[in-house]
Amino acid sequence: MKEVNNNLKKAKTPKIHMTSSLILYGAVRVLSLCAFIFMFFADLNPGRISLWINKNISLFTTGISFSDLTTRFAALFRQGVVDRSTFELLSIASTMVIIGIIACCIGACMSMGNNRMKSRGIWLPLAGSVTMIAGLAGIYLSYSQLSAVAERVQVNFPSGFYWYAALAILIFVITVIILVFKRPAAVEKKMAMPEKYSLFLMLLPILLLTFVFCYLPLWGWRYAFYDYTAGETLSADKFVGFEWFSMLFTNSATINDVTRVLTNTFAMSGLGILVSWVPMVFAVFLNEIRSTRFKRIVQTLTTIPNFISWVLIYAIALAIFNSEGLFNSVLSLFGVTSSTNWLMNADNIWIKMLLWGMWKGLGWSAIIYIAAITGIDPQLYEAATIDGAGRFQRMWYITLPSLLPTYLVLLLLTVAGFLSNGLEQYLVFQNANNKDVIEVLDLYVFNIGIDGGRIPLSTVIGMAKSLISIALLFLVNKVSKIIRGESII
Amino acid sequence: MRKSVAKAPKKRRLKQQRGAGNAIFDVMNVTAFVVFTLLCIFPFYYLFINTISDNELVSRGAVTIFPIGINISNYIALKDVNDLANAFLVTVTRTILGTGLMVIASGLAGYLVTKRALWHRSFWYRAIVITMYFNAGLIPWYLNMMMLGLTNSYLAYIIPAIIAPFNIILVKTYIESIPKELEESAIIDGATTLVIFRKIIWPLSKPILATIAIFGAVGNWNSFQDSLILMKGAPELYTLQHRLYVYLQKSSDLKAVMGGGAGTAMVLENALNAKVVKYTISMATIIPIMLIYPFMQRYFVKGIMLGAVKG
Repeated sequence: MKEVNNNLKKAKTPKIHMTSSLILYGAVRVLSLCAFIFMFFADLNPGRISLWINKNISLFTTGISFSDLTTRFAALFRQGVVDRSTFELLSIASTMVIIGIIACCIGACMSMGNNRMKSRGIWLPLAGSVTMIAGLAGIYLSYSQLSAVAERVQVNFPSGFYWYAALAILIFVITVIILVFKRPAAVEKKMAMPEKYSLFLMLLPILLLTFVFCYLPLWGWRYAFYDYTAGETLSADKFVGFEWFSMLFTNSATINDVTRVLTNTFAMSGLGILVSWVPMVFAVFLNEIRSTRFKRIVQTLTTIPNFISWVLIYAIALAIFNSEGLFNSVLSLFGVTSSTNWLMNADNIWIKMLLWGMWKGLGWSAIIYIAAITGIDPQLYEAATIDGAGRFQRMWYITLPSLLPTYLVLLLLTVAGFLSNGLEQYLVFQNANNKDVIEVLDLYVFNIGIDGGRIPLSTVIGMAKSLISIALLFLVNKVSKIIRGESII
Repeated sequence: MRKSVAKAPKKRRLKQQRGAGNAIFDVMNVTAFVVFTLLCIFPFYYLFINTISDNELVSRGAVTIFPIGINISNYIALKDVNDLANAFLVTVTRTILGTGLMVIASGLAGYLVTKRALWHRSFWYRAIVITMYFNAGLIPWYLNMMMLGLTNSYLAYIIPAIIAPFNIILVKTYIESIPKELEESAIIDGATTLVIFRKIIWPLSKPILATIAIFGAVGNWNSFQDSLILMKGAPELYTLQHRLYVYLQKSSDLKAVMGGGAGTAMVLENALNAKVVKYTISMATIIPIMLIYPFMQRYFVKGIMLGAVKG
């Protein structure tokens, strides 16, 4: 924030005033940003004046899509129970709030420029907040119109309304204060902005998206402390503290489930780590083949399965291993008549999953080692040959050691992802017979959370998983620093 | 190297056997690779010949290595499968839109984080990158999407996919290798950041942008989880993979047959051979990937190696 001071060229006001103007501009920026993000929150939609309005639409949708807003009202419009103009008013008013917010945001961005840009830009939050207030008044008007038929459409005063009202009034007041006391004299001839801020503003949309989709879900962790069933709203009386956490250790059914799931997870991840050297050996042996063409063909064809989704792989598995599939036909060649659907068979499912995983990923995982082999200095081989090293010795003493650092990094990352087997593979292969042995942690969370609707318990398990995973990541990073002298993340 | 000294006596013995050992090793090596390669592609071939063979024979399990009674009636029958055209449309549009926006955003973000002048550059960069390693979990993510009103909404396919931290890293690493002088001379000529990005950086980073575009497109085409979790109430927004998953589950899981919706199931059950129709849908979903595969191949190694720089 100090830098901004330096950028206010020729500003003659004492330093204390500069700080206060910085606070005021900062407040406008933060408030506008909040309003902007709120605009996409369905929970904070100030336009949801009736419980009949879809609770999944945000202010933004309310403002721009009349059809989404009135999905359940078409019949009521026809019957004349609800006046169509009420909703047109609501829609227009919401659009005004949106326009107001956007004006505030543009003004907030302009406040990062030079004095001329600042003094021009400050009018925008003023106009914007006034528009917002007018829009909110419109929403209130349509709310009071709708109150006449309150019973029929479950009229509701949206809590988001207060938030927007507070934001609009605060922005308005601060802007007025700035205009009256702190408006900088427009000394520059042209509007301009320091590069560091203009670059930042360009990055801002991406940062906002990252925040909304990657950081905001953390807010969902609060569900772990409530007795929540899907579809309800959270209320304070549902707060249960750490009950779900203690349930993990006290409720015998849950303990059984979690133990079983962890066994599966550990088994499959453990097997994965046990065979993690295979892609490296694949690359080393492929490198021993002299024909470049053969190498290239092998590389190309073995990589294909990696780009096929698990659903499609399941379709292929079904074609081969169902009761009339290829596998049974081949068995019958050996005199074994079988009409088993092998996919329903739960025997050795850990090994089967491992083999499917390897079938899909081996060629792909080998590419990084193949690329690393091409980076090995040929002089090493020449020197070894002169010293009398044979082919296998060169493989063992030169190629393999050169690949070990890469292997180590990938191994450490695999260890860090020990609890994250992924969901899709196990989900598609899951069926009533093998469910007990195929359910890994990710699948379990999906099954009880999304399918079973047990949101809090699955959130607790997911939380534990995330925290353990990040701890593991830091641990392996430390290990890497100790043995390799550099970090992996 | 220390090891090689320790095991020196063994060296001589191996050397004497080299001639014969080499030849045997070569033969075994090549054979092993041939077998594994066949193992990788035969299933696709098998699925394909099942879809073009006589359905009667397929249902008896008679088709093994060669197609019998070649016909394309199954592929023609696809047009009668409900919802398939819709799912295809959803998948194609999301692949194009999602990939396009992701490439533009990754390109711009990757460029901006190379600019030293950017306010708190390394902090923002780290904030983006760390999301690769840490996430809140499936359920909080789902609740978040619900809170944002993105369940049962087409936008849920497009907007979250714009952010791809790994691709931003790839682009950043690539742009850092472009000589700074090009940019500097443009600045002297008075070009703004966005003009430099459009006229200089974008054309020069085409290889890496093509790489992430191809990976992004394959990812979008294969996406299934988001459709499965978010689109419960909107079957018209199912992706192709999700639609296929629903079809595949119909026979392999009794529970799904009992509880499944009537509309789509009817068509399949009435079809001459529901099983082969499923295979045909699968094949039709695989074919586009196979078609772009030759083009993607040359970008693999580049993408992987650039990614390896950052683990």
